Amino acid sequence: MITYILRRLLLMVPTLLGITVVVFVVMAAAPGGISALSLVEGQNLEPQAKKALEDYYNRLYGLDQPAPVQFGRWLNNISPVGFAQDDTGALTGWPMFKTPDLGLSFRYGRPVTDLISERLPITLLLNVLSIPLIYVVAIAVGVRAATRRGQAFDTQAGVVLLGLWSIPTMLAGVLMIGFLASDQFWQWFPTGGLSRRAALDMPFLPQAEFWWTLPALLALGFLAASAFVVFSVRAGRSLRAGAGLLLGGWAGLAMAQDLDAVQSLAGLVLGGVAGAGIGALLGRSEWLALRIGLFGFAGMLIGFKTAGWLFSGGVASGFLLDRMWHLVLPVVCLSYGGLAFLAKLSRSAVLENLTADYARTARAKGVGERDVLWRHVFRNSLLPLITVSATLLPSLLAGSVIVEAIFSIEGMGKLAVEAVQTRDRELVLSITLISGLLTLAGYLLADLAYAIVDPRVSYD
Amino acid sequence: MTEQPRSPSWSRRILGEVLLRWGARLGLAWIALLTLVAVFAPLLANTHPLLVEDAEGWHSPMLTHLTPADTALLGAFFLALVLLFSPGAPLWRFLSWLGGLALIGALSLVLVSPPALVVYEQYREAEARGEYQRVVRAPIPYSAKDYLRDYADTGLESPRSSAERLHWFGTDENGADVLSRMIHATRIALSIGFIATGIALVIGVILGGLMGYFSGIVDIIGMRLVEIFEAIPTLFLLLTFVAFFGRSLYLMMLIIGLTSWSGYARYVRAEFLRLRQQDFVQGAIASGLSLPSILFRHMLPNGMAPILVAASFGVASAILAEATLSFLGLGLVDDPSWGQMLNQAVQSSTFNWWMAAFPGGAIFLTVFAYNLIGEALRDAVDPHSQSGRSAPPVKAAA
Repeated sequence: MITYILRRLLLMVPTLLGITVVVFVVMAAAPGGISALSLVEGQNLEPQAKKALEDYYNRLYGLDQPAPVQFGRWLNNISPVGFAQDDTGALTGWPMFKTPDLGLSFRYGRPVTDLISERLPITLLLNVLSIPLIYVVAIAVGVRAATRRGQAFDTQAGVVLLGLWSIPTMLAGVLMIGFLASDQFWQWFPTGGLSRRAALDMPFLPQAEFWWTLPALLALGFLAASAFVVFSVRAGRSLRAGAGLLLGGWAGLAMAQDLDAVQSLAGLVLGGVAGAGIGALLGRSEWLALRIGLFGFAGMLIGFKTAGWLFSGGVASGFLLDRMWHLVLPVVCLSYGGLAFLAKLSRSAVLENLTADYARTARAKGVGERDVLWRHVFRNSLLPLITVSATLLPSLLAGSVIVEAIFSIEGMGKLAVEAVQTRDRELVLSITLISGLLTLAGYLLADLAYAIVDPRVSYD
Repeated sequence: MTEQPRSPSWSRRILGEVLLRWGARLGLAWIALLTLVAVFAPLLANTHPLLVEDAEGWHSPMLTHLTPADTALLGAFFLALVLLFSPGAPLWRFLSWLGGLALIGALSLVLVSPPALVVYEQYREAEARGEYQRVVRAPIPYSAKDYLRDYADTGLESPRSSAERLHWFGTDENGADVLSRMIHATRIALSIGFIATGIALVIGVILGGLMGYFSGIVDIIGMRLVEIFEAIPTLFLLLTFVAFFGRSLYLMMLIIGLTSWSGYARYVRAEFLRLRQQDFVQGAIASGLSLPSILFRHMLPNGMAPILVAASFGVASAILAEATLSFLGLGLVDDPSWGQMLNQAVQSSTFNWWMAAFPGGAIFLTVFAYNLIGEALRDAVDPHSQSGRSAPPVKAAA
């Protein structure tokens, strides 16, 4: 196993080198390319000052040298073994080890390492939150669709998932901001960023004036949520539909009332009827997980609303809650596409195993259908999901470019767009290197996880 | 095994199964509608009246303002219609269509020269002065770049809000009609999908074919190349290309093609590795056929099915890629594109839903249509789904 990991790590080096070569060639071959002239251009300066600045950039980054030499210098800078340089760029010797240096960003004038260590955690936070969400929902939907192959749920889920997969992230993000964050419609979420300015000075956890306020809030929310969950599990179909009708209609009315543009009776009626219809439909549904989720969420909201109304004031939201509130829309936006893809994949994986011989054997010897599904079939269906997790990370990284641009989050994606737009050579190369490294590490991790889950696979 | 009665040809059966699925049918209908809209865009949305009768008699400002691209598209469309209903082998008809296309393109470049300076207001002003006896206007009487300068303050009108000017989908911040811009943008969306995927297919098929056929050292080097292109986030490579090479439609097609071939190369390689062991390929090698003949006449047609499936998903992702680039402000500058319109929706300080919903909805529907077609193709090609017992395994990656 150790030798396998070592071999894979060594094989990463030529691939990473190739990636940076491709990106460097693109930059160097472009008309105008990377030169001190392109950096100085557009600044309103005297000719002498311009010349001086150009010389300064040339000396600092070695931009007047031929492209292969530039690339060689960059490689030397980032590698832990190589030539040492003095301030003028002349080679001074060959120490055994030196600290790898990603260089200075042209645009920010700061070390690239600093910039990336500021931005990378933000993008990783978004992705780390998205991945579990994607897997949980995708497996729930996929397994249910597979066990009901050819029935209404399966066909509907198929169309809806393909549709979700086809929605451009830009469209989803723009519509979410427009409808759920702007003051023209429902201002439930912030329009962008990761926290309010005020929240940066707040304590981490929420705080209240009296010690009992927060526990009481939590208790009330929890009580209401569990009451609703119990109701959604125990109550009969028509009773649930009635409750759904009431809740949905109420939500629809409340939403229609929030619109100052449509303060007419027609808007209210439409909102109420639409909400009631959807609520009744969802309440009637036979899907337990969906019902528990929906009713639990509604109960929690009602509990918190009541609590907020009972002991109003004196509660500061704190840093954590504020951050979570800011993250809702970006994470949803980032995850729905991968979710649709993964749900389709898990459906076909489960379906393939449900008809396998071992599943029939298990049924024949009297194992219950639930155990066949979760103890036998599901475990074997996990394999393709693990393989795909490797390709999920690159697509999430690409998705965060768009999501960060829409929600103005200062992460790696936004940094990447800025870097290529300002032709910031060091930054572009470093971002390429790091995202390539993350991608390759993802592939390696997926392969290792595969070996752990499937005892038939061994790498020795 | 008993002798089966002779079944209809494989490609015909695939086509029949694809058409049977209503999703694919809807998808094809939407693409056909978009094609019609793209071809007849100058007739559908144009400030220049289609026909005008004034003191000099009837004439058509629309015809005199047609660009070479307009005439080439119209010519190619009618040539395709004629060839579709003419006899002959499909390949021969397709080749003659390509030849005709080149001829029409060259002719329109040489012969068609619209006036360089376009004054959109002149018709509305002339009509207001009563110079025209009769005017026949396009259904949407606004061009894509007609910013309605003769009216005061026309920017960001919500759909159907003003009484004297009818804008079905409202106006953008410059005052141009959103529907008209969307109609003219269908050309970019459709052409980028086809041409970028075509380029990627050519590169992927050649490289993947060589890798699969020769295997050994060629395969190892080729797979490293594929891995390199798969490990760079495609969007990032695209951004770098566009930011450093400037903005042009043709360049964008080329770049999207150049960055998305790795998946096709993988599929073709896998197919060819399987095929090269088979008797008919060995026979072709033994009879001394040339390498291109073995690769493209004998092996490729037998390995085409998974490539076609991947290509129809590829068209969808090429359209998405163009929209994403335009959305990030790296797209075309003045020409309308759906992604650029979506970007405009974000730039303004207020949220104007019609600027986001309509162009974004068009992107969504087009991508959805291609995905539906791809899904149906895959189900039709996949032997698993034909047996009716087990499920079609999902092959395409996101």
